Amino acid sequence: MMIKNDEQKIRELRKQIFITGYKGGLAHVASCYSCLELLYVLYLKGILRYDAKNPDRKDRDRFVLSKGHAGLALYSIMAEAGFLSEEELKTYLQPGTHIGGEPCMRDLKGVEASTGSLGHGLSMAVGMAMAQKADKNGAKTYVILGDGECEEGTVWEAAMSAPVFKLDNLVVILDYNRIQKMDFVDKIIGSDNWKKRWEAFGWSVDEVDGHDIVAIGQALKMPNETDKPRLLIAHTVKGKGVSIMENNPNWHFKLPGRKELKVFKEELEISDSELE
Amino acid sequence: MQRAYISKLMELAEKDANVLHILADSGTGYDEMFRMNFPEQMYNFGISEEHMVAAAAGMATAGKIPFVYTAGAFLAYRSLEFIRDDVCFQNLNVKIIGMGSGLAWSSLGPTHHTTEDVAMLRVIPNLMILSPATPRQVAACVEKAYKHQGPVYIRIGMNNEKEFFPQEYELTKTHDIMSEGDDITVFTTGSILEEVAAAVEMLANKGVNATLINVHTIKPFCKEQVLEAAYKSKMLFTVEEHSICGGLGGILSEILAENGVPVRLCRIGLEDVFAAGYGTHRSVRAENGLDAKSICDKIVEALK
Repeated sequence: MMIKNDEQKIRELRKQIFITGYKGGLAHVASCYSCLELLYVLYLKGILRYDAKNPDRKDRDRFVLSKGHAGLALYSIMAEAGFLSEEELKTYLQPGTHIGGEPCMRDLKGVEASTGSLGHGLSMAVGMAMAQKADKNGAKTYVILGDGECEEGTVWEAAMSAPVFKLDNLVVILDYNRIQKMDFVDKIIGSDNWKKRWEAFGWSVDEVDGHDIVAIGQALKMPNETDKPRLLIAHTVKGKGVSIMENNPNWHFKLPGRKELKVFKEELEISDSELE
Repeated sequence: MQRAYISKLMELAEKDANVLHILADSGTGYDEMFRMNFPEQMYNFGISEEHMVAAAAGMATAGKIPFVYTAGAFLAYRSLEFIRDDVCFQNLNVKIIGMGSGLAWSSLGPTHHTTEDVAMLRVIPNLMILSPATPRQVAACVEKAYKHQGPVYIRIGMNNEKEFFPQEYELTKTHDIMSEGDDITVFTTGSILEEVAAAVEMLANKGVNATLINVHTIKPFCKEQVLEAAYKSKMLFTVEEHSICGGLGGILSEILAENGVPVRLCRIGLEDVFAAGYGTHRSVRAENGLDAKSICDKIVEALK
């Protein structure tokens, strides 16, 4: 379920992400579309506690995009949240820009971790959540983790340690889009049951439709009544919003050619002049 | 050196609650002493070095000052990308302490030796590298690391290293001049200092007078003493418990070449090999040509 304004906003964001990525010459558009609603709810629907005008505020919540290749989606949402201007966002990958292809804390205040190499973000988030608990400031740390990313060993080192340190202030959203760069995740690492795996590691696990803004909000607002870290398995569609890209592993890293571009323009309602 | 390290860390932990002692199942009795005194400032991550380094980076983003401590090999090699991306690229205030550097884990073989760490780590931007030679110098290096806002790697020994420095020793901005002689200058770093100092004494008995310089700070490196030595000595030597590639010998080669100084340099260390043998630290050094007598012999040979 989604209210109309949100639907409209999400459509606009998909369109802008494509235009920005296309003009930049490189973007993981399908990965961005897979986690767009998750980022939207986190930043714009009252989940994350932050102050864009005072991004260093000590008791802020932290967010780590562990699957850093969806950085353009994060930057686009952060622009909506006031961390950067639309004009800055439009400089994405242009000469002299500070808006690059992966989130980078050196380049933009408010980015909490520089990611890109997979299997780093959750570990950094564990450290952040530990520091928040030590400071007893009530702050939380949120992470978006890729399902393909779970092939990295450090993910499981981090998964093992978070329950031991009783990080009930750590919330991980698994972007369960089932696709990695070369193929479907279950074809590469075998069949998966993320719920069982994470529960076996001591996590409290819930599931949600990762494109349903209301459901995501409800799931994230649910109080954690355990002392365990939480995993929210978000069922998502890689490439959501463009028919030829949805659920198709060919689109991990690719921008459309001339014929394919027609479909993108039609479905995202993009005019010729907007791509110039 | 372990004791010196923990004692100094406890001193810092007492005055600053943000100082954290972070382990990867790498503790000893000394660490239990820390836990008894500061239970809320010590975390054991278990056998997960990469995760520990990345989590320490996360802690540092929230104002903590984590001192990450385990066997140097498992930090410098296994965690290399995490040191690079999470600690150094983000320029975070994490201190990485490689315990048992060089051949200190002599009986466990090359998987436990840290003999290429300087070469690997010194190319990473933002990282300060300290290499203390004695227990008092360890304490001084930990103090320097604490005062420095940013990533630091300290390679320390673990086998009751001989003390060369006075009780109230403080690090200088320049390298330590351990002894002076007119013929040659020998640069060394880390706990092998005791072998090199003994070698310099042997050389004196053979009529070769050496200046001995101990390098406690590998990065940023004080170049001036190298250039001074190059002009006054007929030959320079480096001795390190490390590969001759990319470490102290590599650093001096770069300085001399860039400054166009026509002086011969002889690099003594592991010659692009993994160390041979098992046993005590001293016996493995000897087997690999890094005990006092071998060092002395190599210098005499090079001067012929």
